[in-house]
Amino acid sequence: MNRLLRFVPAAVLTIVVAVLPLVVADRFLLKVFTFVGLNALTAVGLALLFGYAGQVSLGHAAFVGIGAYACAFCTTKLELPWLAGFAIAALLSALGGLLLSLPSLRLKGHYLAMASLGFGELMSVAFVEGSPVTGGVNGLGGIPFPAIGAFEIREPATLYWLVWGVVGLAALIAFNITSLRPGRAMRSLHGSELGAQACGVDVTGVKVRSFVLSAAFAGMSGALYASFVGFISPSVFTLSVSVNLLAMAVVGGTGSLIGPILSAAALTLLQYIDALIPGLARETAQVVQSFQADIYGLAIVLVVLFAPGGLAGLWRRRGGERP
Amino acid sequence: MSELLQFFIAGLKNGAIYALLALGFTIVYASTGAINFAQGEFFMLGGMLGVWFSSLGLPLPVAVVAAIVATAAIGAAFELLAVRPLGAGDPLRVIMVTIGGSVILRQLALHLFGPDELPLPPFTEGASIKVLGAAIERQTVWIWALTLLAVLGLAFLYRKTAFGKAMRATSLQRDAARLVGVDTGRMVTYSFALAAALGALAGLAVTPLTQTVFDVGAGISVKGFAAAILGGLGNPVAAVAGGIVLGLLESMTAGYLNPLYKDAVALVVLLIVLFVKPSGIFGGGRREKV
Amino acid sequence: MTMLSVKGVTRRFGGLTAVDGVSFDVHEGTIKALIGPNGAGKSTLFNCLTGFDTPSEGSVSFEGTPLVGRSARQVVRLGVARTFQNTQLFDEMTALENVMVGAQARQGTGFVAAALRLPSAFAEERRALEDAERLLRLIGIEEWAHSLGRDLPAGIRRLVEIARALATAPKLVLLDEPAAGLNGTETRELMHALFRIRDAGVTTLIVEHDMGLVMEVSDEIVVIDRGAKIAEGPPRMIQKDPVVIAAYLGEEDVDE
Repeated sequence: MNRLLRFVPAAVLTIVVAVLPLVVADRFLLKVFTFVGLNALTAVGLALLFGYAGQVSLGHAAFVGIGAYACAFCTTKLELPWLAGFAIAALLSALGGLLLSLPSLRLKGHYLAMASLGFGELMSVAFVEGSPVTGGVNGLGGIPFPAIGAFEIREPATLYWLVWGVVGLAALIAFNITSLRPGRAMRSLHGSELGAQACGVDVTGVKVRSFVLSAAFAGMSGALYASFVGFISPSVFTLSVSVNLLAMAVVGGTGSLIGPILSAAALTLLQYIDALIPGLARETAQVVQSFQADIYGLAIVLVVLFAPGGLAGLWRRRGGERP
Repeated sequence: MSELLQFFIAGLKNGAIYALLALGFTIVYASTGAINFAQGEFFMLGGMLGVWFSSLGLPLPVAVVAAIVATAAIGAAFELLAVRPLGAGDPLRVIMVTIGGSVILRQLALHLFGPDELPLPPFTEGASIKVLGAAIERQTVWIWALTLLAVLGLAFLYRKTAFGKAMRATSLQRDAARLVGVDTGRMVTYSFALAAALGALAGLAVTPLTQTVFDVGAGISVKGFAAAILGGLGNPVAAVAGGIVLGLLESMTAGYLNPLYKDAVALVVLLIVLFVKPSGIFGGGRREKV
Repeated sequence: MTMLSVKGVTRRFGGLTAVDGVSFDVHEGTIKALIGPNGAGKSTLFNCLTGFDTPSEGSVSFEGTPLVGRSARQVVRLGVARTFQNTQLFDEMTALENVMVGAQARQGTGFVAAALRLPSAFAEERRALEDAERLLRLIGIEEWAHSLGRDLPAGIRRLVEIARALATAPKLVLLDEPAAGLNGTETRELMHALFRIRDAGVTTLIVEHDMGLVMEVSDEIVVIDRGAKIAEGPPRMIQKDPVVIAAYLGEEDVDE
């Protein structure tokens, strides 16, 4: 019975997510929750890379950007069907993850962080300078809605379910991986790389796969974002965004998938707090929004100092099962 | 020929700035084994505080010195509040905390000083100096002079003073230093203060030319780090060399290839060094004990 | 039969020679101890034997297969496991999970099989779990199976690391100062564990400072001083060797 209790938080979350559009009528609010889903998708990837394998990526926005631009380019300039654009986006960002992780393998933790930072910044420059493909500073517009075959997805509720459907799939894959041997290997890397080597763990293989998978999820998030908003520009995929994404993973905590999903939700919803709480005074909402970045920064500092395991760590410490 | 000279001068100007930042990174790395992501924020705070003190009516030289001292104090406070509690732990946690800290410092600057670019008057007014067909702005000479002063001052500090020797001991072998009675905790705080002062100096010296703005920190951090790692982390001489080389590479690329690529140079250098020879041109660095 | 053959292994770091032309053999089914004053280069030698470092000179062969130049992972898969002087446990995982990592040493990363929830992945998990439980019982620490690494007492941490090393199904296991920091009771438990390992057919090479333990368990001893071998032989002989005694005389006795 105890074993099944583990799944209660996930089950509750799934039900809430699935039922939400039936309860929430406000179109804008539904879009907000769709944004939450987009960040949750990237957060799942970062949970694998950072929360489990302990690798710091300071350039994850770049993978989101690669996915977004790839999908946008494929569906607008190349006029490919959306599913193809989505698949290509996932593949290209996965490739990006591969290209970054391979040379980074022997780099110690903080060097890897700086390499990912350099990569992220370089991609930012590429997004701005790569005019023919990326539309330069002005970005790309007129990106079509997602479509599965002839069926176009434009209603807020359907878009919401599409995004969260992908989140669910990603979470399922991540859950499968982390609950079996690869998860243990990732956690061993995080615990002691020397110890992992002495146990015959394929350190290189695990790192690369974690990177590739998390980059793929980020790319899918980017592709969905582009199709959801219809317009992208380099300013969406900056270092600030990478830091925010990392904050979601840090706050969510190590060794957990739900933690990062929940913290992604919380941090994203903060941005739209006036939509969430209709009665909220204008000034209060504005104050919260102007302190957005401060909250991200403070969250990272507080978690690293006082609760290094993040929300998940706190949950574990109070005696609950690992979510 | 004068064009080449002009690029050379520009390269040396930026190179001096990068050298100061690289020194800041190296000093903190040497004493903690970790990278202080907030180094660029110290650069920003130097310029910002200089503008602010100046606006309070203080004469420029006083404002400059006050800004350096204030930033050094902020650096020390930052270490005490955010880094010290981590103990001798995982360098990764230090970098995480400095990332979060840099966001907080940047936001603080935004809330206190606003989003606009702010100017500082040049340290000495006057037309640029003509040399062999190229023009050198007076502020550029200031940058070189101050950087040289800082480097010489550091060299003196490290070699001739007891304090400097204590800092070197801490960076070389923390446990041994503690055994000989060095307060290693305090040394780490001082190294942050020193790194902050150097960053602030760089920021103040260049603000008359480029103006300062609250979010300039991250970009300059990356360049300073690229310079530090190009030379080789942990070695002050290498840091200065790395800074100058990076500055020259940037200006030559901008001048002869494409000005659009200027900002990418540091990034490419960073990645190439990390992937090919992380110990930098001058090698060295810490060996991990198994 | 000779399990491990170390020939002329030298390791230099710039001007410093940490290991100087060390040669010895380890015979199958025995427990051999490497002793010597602190800083004599024993851990460095271990690193050279197990793929964590590369010797500047010399050769190492295990059951006839050369080890030099192989990665740590390859060495483990050939059948040589090791522990560390500074225990490298996975603190956020239970003792059982720690040992399970070792039990899956010869598997690949398993990402695809896991993602697809293939039956083979689950079967593999069951096998690893059984092996890990069996090993914890062999070492005598099964009561700690579900405790987190960071909650384990020092003595138990070492034993878990030993169990984890054994989980990789080695024929030879290298233990780096397993008794360091252990009290009398814990050292006796370690000794029993070492005998049980030998009875299970695993050959052991152990670096140790605890002379009592060394004399009790070793079949043969190699003495290293300043990176070079100064004596080799059975415990009784080493005890009386004047060269060995002289090497230790300058040393402060750090044992209890």
